[in-house]
Amino acid sequence: MRNLHIVLIFTGFLLTSTAGFAQADLNITEIPAALLVNANAVVRNAVTNIEIRNEGKAIITNQYVVTVFNPGGNKYASMDLQYDKLISIRSFSGNLYDASGKRIRSLKKGDITDQSATSSYSLADDNRVRSHNFNYQNYPYTVEYETAVEYNGIFYFPSWTPVEDENLSVQQSQLQVQMPLNYTIRYKTFNYNKEPEIATGKDSKTLQWKVENLVPVKSEAFSVPWFECTPSVFLAPTSFRLQDYNGTMTDWATFGKFLYTLNAGRDKLPDNVKSKVHALTDGLASTPAKVKILYEYLQQNTRYISVQLGIGGWQTYDANYVASNGYGDCKALSNYMYSLLKEAGIKSYYTLIKAGEHNQSFIPDFPSNQFNHVIVCVPQDKDTIWLECTSQTEAPGYLGSFTGNRNALIIKEDGGVLVKTPGYTKTENLQIRKINSVLDLEGNLTLNIDTKYQAEQQDDVDGLLHGLSKELIAEYLKDKLSIPSYDILKFDYTQNKNGLPSVNEKLEVKAYNFATVTGKRIFITPNILNRSGTKIQDHDKRINPIRLSIEYTDIDTVEIKVPEGYVPESLPAGEGFDTKFGKFGTSFSFEPGRIIYIRHMQRNSGYYPATDGDALKKFYDAIYRSDRARIVLVKKE
Amino acid sequence: MGRFSFLGNLNKNLIFITIPPKPFVVIEVPQHNLYFMKLLLSVLTFLCILFSATSNAQDEPNISFFHVKPADFSLDKISVDTSSGAIIIADIGKSYFEGNSKGWFTLVYEHKRRIRIIDKKAFDLATVEIPLYKSKNTDNEETLESLKAYTYNLENGKVVETKLDKDNVFKEKLDGNHTVKKFTMPAVKEGSIIEYSYKINSDFLFNLQPWSFQGGYPRIWSEYKVAFPSFLQYVTLTQGYYPFFIKSNQEVRNSYSVRLNGDGVNNDGRLVHDDLISIPSTDLISRWVIRDIPAMKEEKFTSSLSNHLSQIEFQLAGENFPGQAYKSIMGNWSTVSEELLKDKDFGADLTSANNWINSESSQLIPNPANKTEEAKAIYKYVQHSIKSKGIRGIYLSQPLKETFKNKSGYVADINMLLTMLLTNRGFDASPVLISTRKNGRATDLYPLISKFNYVICRLTVNDKSYLLDASQPYLGFDKLPAYVYNGSARILGSNPTGIYLTADSLTENKTTDITLDLDEKNRHNWKGIVYSSPGYEESGSIREAVQEKGKDEYIKKLTQEYTGDYSINDVKIDQLDLNDEPVLINYSLDIENNKSDFIYFNPMIKEGMAENPFKSQERKYPVEMPFKINETYILRLQIPEGYVVDELPKSAKVKLNEDEALFEYIITKNDKEINLRTRLKFEKANFLSEDYETLRDFFDYIVKKHAEQIVFKKK
Repeated sequence: MRNLHIVLIFTGFLLTSTAGFAQADLNITEIPAALLVNANAVVRNAVTNIEIRNEGKAIITNQYVVTVFNPGGNKYASMDLQYDKLISIRSFSGNLYDASGKRIRSLKKGDITDQSATSSYSLADDNRVRSHNFNYQNYPYTVEYETAVEYNGIFYFPSWTPVEDENLSVQQSQLQVQMPLNYTIRYKTFNYNKEPEIATGKDSKTLQWKVENLVPVKSEAFSVPWFECTPSVFLAPTSFRLQDYNGTMTDWATFGKFLYTLNAGRDKLPDNVKSKVHALTDGLASTPAKVKILYEYLQQNTRYISVQLGIGGWQTYDANYVASNGYGDCKALSNYMYSLLKEAGIKSYYTLIKAGEHNQSFIPDFPSNQFNHVIVCVPQDKDTIWLECTSQTEAPGYLGSFTGNRNALIIKEDGGVLVKTPGYTKTENLQIRKINSVLDLEGNLTLNIDTKYQAEQQDDVDGLLHGLSKELIAEYLKDKLSIPSYDILKFDYTQNKNGLPSVNEKLEVKAYNFATVTGKRIFITPNILNRSGTKIQDHDKRINPIRLSIEYTDIDTVEIKVPEGYVPESLPAGEGFDTKFGKFGTSFSFEPGRIIYIRHMQRNSGYYPATDGDALKKFYDAIYRSDRARIVLVKKE
Repeated sequence: MGRFSFLGNLNKNLIFITIPPKPFVVIEVPQHNLYFMKLLLSVLTFLCILFSATSNAQDEPNISFFHVKPADFSLDKISVDTSSGAIIIADIGKSYFEGNSKGWFTLVYEHKRRIRIIDKKAFDLATVEIPLYKSKNTDNEETLESLKAYTYNLENGKVVETKLDKDNVFKEKLDGNHTVKKFTMPAVKEGSIIEYSYKINSDFLFNLQPWSFQGGYPRIWSEYKVAFPSFLQYVTLTQGYYPFFIKSNQEVRNSYSVRLNGDGVNNDGRLVHDDLISIPSTDLISRWVIRDIPAMKEEKFTSSLSNHLSQIEFQLAGENFPGQAYKSIMGNWSTVSEELLKDKDFGADLTSANNWINSESSQLIPNPANKTEEAKAIYKYVQHSIKSKGIRGIYLSQPLKETFKNKSGYVADINMLLTMLLTNRGFDASPVLISTRKNGRATDLYPLISKFNYVICRLTVNDKSYLLDASQPYLGFDKLPAYVYNGSARILGSNPTGIYLTADSLTENKTTDITLDLDEKNRHNWKGIVYSSPGYEESGSIREAVQEKGKDEYIKKLTQEYTGDYSINDVKIDQLDLNDEPVLINYSLDIENNKSDFIYFNPMIKEGMAENPFKSQERKYPVEMPFKINETYILRLQIPEGYVVDELPKSAKVKLNEDEALFEYIITKNDKEINLRTRLKFEKANFLSEDYETLRDFFDYIVKKHAEQIVFKKK
């Protein structure tokens, strides 16, 4: 909903250059047998050539040849070229070959579609896309594309990840960057343990990275980002130009300085807003109180609307624009908040961040344009205040899973500083649920469910409460509970936004035939609502490291009143274990007339080596089994 | 023989109550489908029926546009549910015609709206998108005019207005034909009133804007007015469940001035000057108002929400200028069929020489045994060699020759190519127009081709007819995808014939047969074989999954569904390539029982219905299932050695509304084994919303029965 389009520039990009294959080479018999295992498609040859002419111009040519073996590989055989005011397409051609490498036909200009690529969350931006697809289905077949685009300014470069996704192998792929002798490109590699080859010519030098015969990589549960699983190269400029602005990007300080310059002087508020700021804050003593009231003013008077045209993808609209329209994107709203705080005499920083739920793909030691969102940081001696300015509902200071627990770049007058946003711990991310229920002889269950969600565990519920009308929440609840057939009789939510946000949910539910009644027996699973659905299906040995993102605690207490005269015939044994991934414990007990079930789960976050794969699978399998344990009651004779 | 237990209490729940029809008028409905009765489908004839609504207390909305008073912010007298977060206070549209200077008419559409925002959840209403169309070949276009938009806020008891700045209206070019004008209202807060009005001038007289009385937010006053000149005739189609508050027709004398561009020479060789001509008309002014319409809500198991929306649509029927003969534009099915078949974007290629095909196709398709085999070979050839790019309406996207050469095309391209290849070989083959379920229902009454979006082929061989769709790789000969079973369809040709495709005629037959014998070594464990024949639709999904991810991956996934004490081996999937038949799956199943005092066993294993598909307590629209369910499950189970049966579920047989569906659960035992046979069979796929509760109870019962356990006790 609230991303900048910086990152989107790279999506849908298939990289390729000129070289040309002799037709014999395209015969599928030329593919080494090892590359065919688990491959829906094989990249035969891909060459991405980035020619940096100067700080304001680069030409990127791609040659890309792929052989597709089945419908699962079709997605690699089309080409999308995104363009906007700062990127233009210079050429776009392609050919289709049969399995033997005989050309079937060539791309015709008229077959290229040209469409708006305005993102769904944007009111207006200038992103467009030209696309082509041969739509062939006689497998195997081979597709070749050659494209060239021109970058007007080298603020960023596409990244290079030859094995784009699962079930794709790569016979040969290379990236080369050509630049004037006096220019330096910066790079960061993953799973590429060599330095690039450097060729120096009369006026220019070329850096080259090359891979050969890469077999498919499998995506695994709880995985690190894809680029850490396969060879990848990220590129960034040293000096660059973006429209009329020059900058350097050798460290976070200079990158931040550039952004400061880009947005300088855009903080002038109209007089009526200025006086409003003073009217609101002059009587208040503490800075946090002033921040809170101004943040609430922002929330009540603005909303998120994304308009990003040309350099507007990076440069903020000014404070006056937000004041008069009552809206803006993340940049404009953050800049506006910064301006309001400034007027009240409070120091704050415009802050760049890579947003996304539990997004941990930021590379902190590679200063480059990795951001897609802007927030505001109000430094305090203790407990710095963070403000998400695109939300009309968030509590001041709370970031949640969208921007919490990660690096962010605060933009100071003299440059950028990389800092960490607050994370939330397993004792803060809570879900505490108490169920009181009554079972009848038909197997129907009447439930009173009381749940407290806190911190990151309340993010989804919070989104629901602010996003949907009461009617639609009722609709949503009809489908949400993992009970075979039920009606929601009553529901109620209360929110607490002071300190760590929390939501209290009260549900009254009638569950039909929840327990199975067969003659004199009743079968019931006492874990009614919190059964773990996680099952790691991979039987093969784990290859990549494990990453557990959110850490949290769930506590469930379930009481089920059972019909008179029933006693347990089979009562599962409770269990408890404590592993590096977390703790889990359950108890099943029966007192005359009622079942008591208690479940406690605490999951840790962190990185674990691939060798822990089996242990993680065991951990989740045990929970999966335990959560489905069943009690059998039998009528006393 | 098994025992039957007729469950009295359940039968009581399932008694069919005949609900009297809702009090609205049905003017004309197709005969074949009863539940269609509920849908108000009225058709205005061309004749001017003078009809005035009974005089009403209020026949105008009680507001004055762009004059917002403090009292207008009050929600006191609001008669609709406010929980959606906003209310459309008034939504008013008007379409009329003007003579223009291009020698023809401009169709003008005016739209104005007042919205009261209550909650920030409804801020999406503050962003407006107006799609506009432009012809590529002519200078005909739609233009946006007179856009006016204000936001009103009540501040300290005073109304503060904020005007939309023209600079904040954006134009997005989607492709060569389509653009969107977009804007979002300034200064929108909770409590704001938003008003906007605009005009679209259009050169496309066939595109008389339809009107939806219903949407995601409730409306207090929704009104549409059209001034039909007597020389242009339109068919009006209305549908929906909400009665009109006002529905009136009025005749008004009018005249239209058209400027003929005279910069040229006419047929007689004489110089022609600009000429202003006046055309008299008796306009028919039709007006429709619905009040207090609640927000529209999505429901599961509906063919398409658009089939239930309260709306009015139009189709240009003909021109009737004074002193000229009536010119039919819409025509009748015969003329429309004839024109379509001559249209180069549709049927012209079917009958043209097509020499390009003869040499190639004779090589492609081997000499068949008989005519039917030959047709099947042609069908298979097209199905397997031409890739479908999806649905793109009924017209060809390229000449058939290109489709044949490129080996790809849209549904219409592919099935027209099939029709052409069949015709070319001397078969009696015709295109059939269809509207898919998603696209909403087409009508049989008028040849409204804009309502159709899909083309298939009807083939007749030796007096036997087949319906063919070669665009779907997993379909068999004479099989159609479930989404085309959506009512009226039309076979084109010299005698165009309507056919009716209903889900009531489509059955998904599924059978599962499991035998569990005792393991020779551990005679308390089971070792068995599962034979399963999924329904035809499900077989299609399996074929697709196998094609996408490979057979091994599919088998692996299936294997992983069995965990703990259950494991499966030797999975075989047969008939994957026999598209005419469902696939067959069989595998061995091993079940371990630890030697505890009791063994609890669900005899449905994995085949039981785990949850009720009908979640909602109540229902507004009819239930439209994609097909009739017919599922049979058979289990033969040996009693583990050392155990006796302590408890067995009871047999049961339940009928839904006498004969609309049947559920059987028949279980028997002897000393050695238990036999279970359970069956769910529907006799129809479509149910009235009044039947909903009964249907939901019926499924509840199945879910309950399928969860029941057999208990074995140690001897």
